[in-house]
Amino acid sequence: MVTIDWTLLSQYIISGVVIGLIYSLMAMGITFIYGIMRIINWSMGEFYMIGGYLQYIIITHFLGVENWYLGVLLSMVGVFLLGMVVQGLLIKPMFQGSVERRTEYATIVTISLGVLFTNVAVIGAGPFIYSPPGYYHGTRILTLPVSGTRFVAFIGTIVLLSLFYLFLKKTWWGRAFQGAAQNRMGIQTAGIDVFRLDQIAFGIGVALAAAAGALLAPEFYLHPRCGSIATMKGFEIIVIGGLGSIPGVLCAGLLLGLIESLGAVFLNPSFRDVYGFLFLLAILAIKPTGLFEERERVA
Amino acid sequence: MKSKTGSIVILLIAVFLLVWAHNPLTSQAAAKQPVKIGVISPLSPPGDPAAGQLITRGAKFGAKFVNEEMGGVLGGRPIKLVIEDDSGTPEKGVAAFRKLATKDKVIAVMGQYHSSVCTALVDVGAEYGIPTFSTGASASIITKKHQVTTFKTHVIDYDRASTWTDFIASQGWKRIAIMAENTDYGVGLYEATKQIKGERGLKDVEINGMVFDRKVADLTPQLLKLKAWKPDILLNIGVGDPTYRITKQAYDIGLFPQVPMMGAHDWPARPEFWKNLGKMGEYMMFINYYHPKMGLSRLGEWLKPRFEKEYGEIPTYMAYNGFGQIALLAQAINLAQSDAPKDLTKSLEDWVYVFWAKGDVVDFERSAGAQWHNHTSPLQIVQYTKANQPIEESTILWPPIMKTGEIASP
Repeated sequence: MVTIDWTLLSQYIISGVVIGLIYSLMAMGITFIYGIMRIINWSMGEFYMIGGYLQYIIITHFLGVENWYLGVLLSMVGVFLLGMVVQGLLIKPMFQGSVERRTEYATIVTISLGVLFTNVAVIGAGPFIYSPPGYYHGTRILTLPVSGTRFVAFIGTIVLLSLFYLFLKKTWWGRAFQGAAQNRMGIQTAGIDVFRLDQIAFGIGVALAAAAGALLAPEFYLHPRCGSIATMKGFEIIVIGGLGSIPGVLCAGLLLGLIESLGAVFLNPSFRDVYGFLFLLAILAIKPTGLFEERERVA
Repeated sequence: MKSKTGSIVILLIAVFLLVWAHNPLTSQAAAKQPVKIGVISPLSPPGDPAAGQLITRGAKFGAKFVNEEMGGVLGGRPIKLVIEDDSGTPEKGVAAFRKLATKDKVIAVMGQYHSSVCTALVDVGAEYGIPTFSTGASASIITKKHQVTTFKTHVIDYDRASTWTDFIASQGWKRIAIMAENTDYGVGLYEATKQIKGERGLKDVEINGMVFDRKVADLTPQLLKLKAWKPDILLNIGVGDPTYRITKQAYDIGLFPQVPMMGAHDWPARPEFWKNLGKMGEYMMFINYYHPKMGLSRLGEWLKPRFEKEYGEIPTYMAYNGFGQIALLAQAINLAQSDAPKDLTKSLEDWVYVFWAKGDVVDFERSAGAQWHNHTSPLQIVQYTKANQPIEESTILWPPIMKTGEIASP
């Protein structure tokens, strides 16, 4: 008779939920930018990486580890501004003129940006692995012992996603973003500068990635290619959840975390990433628009 | 008359050519044509760039030693290094090798660190007939191919697996947990450990291994499963950031240091180890190739103070090995009296060479199996007993002849 170690099983599940929620934060910015601008930002992982490096510099050279939360905020602000500049200089011009295949070109620009940022990081920070000190002492989430940093990242993700949800639902800007996601032409006729909105949306999206990078810097270590995790998981999640859907991101992140965690221990640990992609393929076969399809209103 | 003028012109031209040929400036220019050696190392992720940087730093000092102390090679020609980054990926390494062979015309290539890259490069080396050195790649397959142009001054999986299996048996440990990355290095070492266990007849020793994708960030579920298995020791077989993630995540869930952990190579000897792990690195054991208590040859003694002055840290094994291989190649070039790769290959096989460790002499023999053209340094198992401990203060646990203390635990 097979005996089940319930404590161990609960640890696997909690571990999956924790990492899944953190994945959601990595993916939220991608889906938000797509929802507004209809472009996929392939350099999201690099903004995650920049957020991590900024956090490292801020807390190791200026504020100290006890002010890690200020570091997270400043990293987000820094990357938000960088995102605004990048969008204004490289992506916005394609949307203002009568450029054909603008979203395709914009997507290629984001791929190039990713390569550029990675190489800048290699030159600027060198090839070494960095890690800021942990944010908090080791603790437990129910039965699972976790590092203080992972606990902070878990709570931080819940707080950030809640604030982001409130921002979208309760503020004028949030409603404007929802309007842009539903019908760009419609909100233009209402007098809203949709190009300005695009720029801010891009900034907010990359700032969310930076928040993930800053929160997880002590946990997953920093190097010029560390953002590839965020990119890979982010795109899996938005396809599973449905492009542009915020509830879809949350749900898909949690599901992905659970499937990877349980697959790694009950099937074969070598193929942890494969389970996520198999799940993605299954979703595409059953519901090609993802779990939570966001519909655009066409005038 | 005409023929007399013609003879004078010919004579003058001959005199001019003779003088030009003997002009010290011209002779010097010909003599100073550099002999190029290629260095292909991981200098950016996803490879292990810290290792690549140590190797290239050592190699640069090697070139400095040859040019300044030996007066160059072949009567005064300087060694020039052409450095390329393989990022730890075979395709990038192969492209770099082809460029070095066809455009730069290097006569040898060294600096290899990742086994998967080195395994691919030795075939390209054989194709071009260029001697190719593994500086820090250890998979048995590299030398098992028995390529005439393949050389290695580093351990092979079998040596490493023998060392830790014998140590584990000496401690009376019965349950070995393994976290191995999915590369030639990780899988090769995992398999070699199982093979040695069989060869040693350790029937009561169990191995529970997990091969993980090195790109995966979160290894917590796998480590939880291993923790539940109640191992006596956890072997950490990763390169680069996975090694840190295993250590940190094992620490977070209370697996390490309660259960001893052993790293499969000398990454904890690097200064970044303590910067990245801090107290979490306390009690870490690891396979080491050079301990400062071992002593250095005159070559090694030349490097140590200069490296310390330049970089503010003592050179570690990879830097010594990178340095030693350039010095070794310079000796081989001089003995061959030629800068042709074919002659160099023959010279490497025919002679023995002074290396950087005390009493260490390199002899590339055509031995059986993975020992082909292979020179292995003596291995030790060392342990840090407190946080931020320098490598020279670490305890040597194995082999018994070098032992300086007992295993420490929290």
